[in-house]
Amino acid sequence: MDEKLAPHLEELTRALGNLEKTGIRAEFEKLIAFRVPPDVAKESILRKFGGKRKVLKVKDLSANLKNFELTGRILDIGEKLISPQGKAQESPSRLYTGVLADETGSVLFSSWKELPGSIGDVINVKNAYIRIWQNRIRLSIGEQAPVSPVVDSSLPPLSELSGSKTKKLIDIGTADFSVDTIACVLQLSYREVLVKGRQSRVISGVLADETGRLPFTSWVELAGIDIGSIIRIEEAQIRMFRGMPSINILSNTKVSSVGSEEAEKISFTFESAAKDPIPIKIEEIASRDSMFDVAAAGNVVSVRPGSGIISRCPECSRVIQKGNCRVHGKVEGIRDMRIKAVLDDGTGSMSVMFPRELAEIIYGKTLEEAEQLMFSDVSKDAVYEDLRRFLTGRYLAVRGNSSKSEFGISFVTENAWVPEDDLAVRTVELLRRLGPDEEDGQDRNSQVSSGGIDLA
Amino acid sequence: MKRMDRIEIHRFPVGESILLKREVAKRVFAREFEACRELEKSERSDSEAADSKSPNLLISPLGLILNRVFVVGVITELDNIGTQSEMWKARIVDPTGAFTVYAGQYQPEASIFFSTVQVPAFIALTGKARIYEPEPGSVFVSIRAEEVNVVDEEIRNRWVVDTAEQTVERLETFSDALTSGYCGEKLREYLLEKGVSSELAEGIAIAFEREHYPEEFAKLLRISIRESLKTLNLDSEGNTEAKTGQKEFVQELLREMGGSKGVDYAAFMDAATSKGIPEHVVEEAIRSLLAGGQCYEPKIGIIRLVG
Repeated sequence: MDEKLAPHLEELTRALGNLEKTGIRAEFEKLIAFRVPPDVAKESILRKFGGKRKVLKVKDLSANLKNFELTGRILDIGEKLISPQGKAQESPSRLYTGVLADETGSVLFSSWKELPGSIGDVINVKNAYIRIWQNRIRLSIGEQAPVSPVVDSSLPPLSELSGSKTKKLIDIGTADFSVDTIACVLQLSYREVLVKGRQSRVISGVLADETGRLPFTSWVELAGIDIGSIIRIEEAQIRMFRGMPSINILSNTKVSSVGSEEAEKISFTFESAAKDPIPIKIEEIASRDSMFDVAAAGNVVSVRPGSGIISRCPECSRVIQKGNCRVHGKVEGIRDMRIKAVLDDGTGSMSVMFPRELAEIIYGKTLEEAEQLMFSDVSKDAVYEDLRRFLTGRYLAVRGNSSKSEFGISFVTENAWVPEDDLAVRTVELLRRLGPDEEDGQDRNSQVSSGGIDLA
Repeated sequence: MKRMDRIEIHRFPVGESILLKREVAKRVFAREFEACRELEKSERSDSEAADSKSPNLLISPLGLILNRVFVVGVITELDNIGTQSEMWKARIVDPTGAFTVYAGQYQPEASIFFSTVQVPAFIALTGKARIYEPEPGSVFVSIRAEEVNVVDEEIRNRWVVDTAEQTVERLETFSDALTSGYCGEKLREYLLEKGVSSELAEGIAIAFEREHYPEEFAKLLRISIRESLKTLNLDSEGNTEAKTGQKEFVQELLREMGGSKGVDYAAFMDAATSKGIPEHVVEEAIRSLLAGGQCYEPKIGIIRLVG
């Protein structure tokens, strides 16, 4: 039997490296034990572990990726002992966690085996996968991920990788831990929160530069800084909340006002940064994991089921079905109205959610009016049907926050309106781009043939 | 070698899985849509795009890859062609040509819509592109309706301008690709470097392999778009006067044909268009007469002048 398997194992070793160490051989033998023909087993092992393995950079990492290869420098590493719950007799496992970085960013990792390197070393990880943990992507290095040290790496040295990167707001994402940036304070408010039993004052608000906006939170007083201030922030921490990065100003973060002389050299002012966002292509929104306070415009190509009048649990505000909340059981529901629609501009499409205040505006009916429609009609979907008739095909512009998941983009609207009529201007511009009026037939023919010659 | 090029062309960039995600509804004029042909899965082989779950895709002579489309136009014909169960066939006209639309028992929402809609009307429609090739050389490209609704003329005009904008942008990329002299993988890289989306870069590279005279179609489409934009009845100062004139003419014609009994809308439309007034103008004139109380509908489909 083994003789028959030997050539397949040899081939697998050539493709995937040491089979014994990574447990691939065991997996292969398991398939054989289930009477899978050896060549089929080989194929499926190759598909699972090798084949079209992608080589990625840190910035390319996103949720649900698997089977890729990554090379990075270890910025930080520590180990934890984890005892399996209720199995005290078993010896605790070791979990190694830390941060891996390349020139494009850094990522948290966790590994169930010891890595061949310590802080400052470069390692190459194959067959790694991504898990979401605490709102952040995390590189998981499992038993079946071969890790090898890289000796002569061209990656930037530790000092360069571990320092904060200077970034524009739009470039800040999940791959960042600590950043430096210059931005303008657009909004600022104070609130009191309890932190470890102590009352503390937290500042939250919105920062902007010429590329975009992001929310921020400061856990320290910001003396002399108010709405309109342009500030330089050094070593701010980036946290993720619902897929959206937010800038955290902690005690070791340096914040300073940008003087008026220097402010003149910056490519934005408070006035320019505070302008309402102009609609961008949905394609552009789709190209990023999340965007804060952006605008887009398109057609409502579909009003989704679940739009219209809904009931919410009075305790947790979850949408309830047939008077039952999935957490609180039988409850007296509170009526609410919302619209879920697909907005599409021809370059991209996104699922847009309108809360009650906006639903009432774009629908032109209040919750009470919609309720009357619901009670006066035998169909239980009367409001939904009415919404479909009213909204399908219409133009809408929306402003709000987007975030991307495996099902596409979700957009939560803060504001919605009918885009302004600018057709005359756009038509003139289009006619200009299309060039002068058509030439006579003779001319056209000659151009066609010259096109043909170009191709040949 | 050529084979290799192809495989390279169709690889999607990392992380851009096209599965699960909703297909974007492309904006395309009837002229370009009916020139679309099937994009064989084998042409996109070796990538996730060739997965069996991936939708049936069409490709236009300009390299636009599409499945779902969003169109706004005038519904001018509507027939129930089904034998056992209903099957609606509709013709939706845009300034460059017409879309053929089907809705059957598996598109219940759209079928209900077609069973009640008055022809003609401005309608907005989302649907999936279908292609039927009963024999080599005869190809029928149509849309299977998903969602349909009646809209107003302003939405139609916006659609024309939106679609023109997206088509012109594609035409510009296409011309640029032609003058570059590249093809295959080189062309794709050239376009990607210019910031063109990976899908369009791929589409243009495939279109170049298929079309013998790609420039020819681009040229015709340009002319068609230019004409379309000129016929748009935009409220610029120049044509308000002409519009008032046409409205008066429509009113006069109504008086002439209708007398005291009123006139069938469809018959009136035929008469008006045969006198050289574009459909949308008649449509708008009647609507403004209705809104102004100068005429009314004693029965659905019958227009009658007041007084």
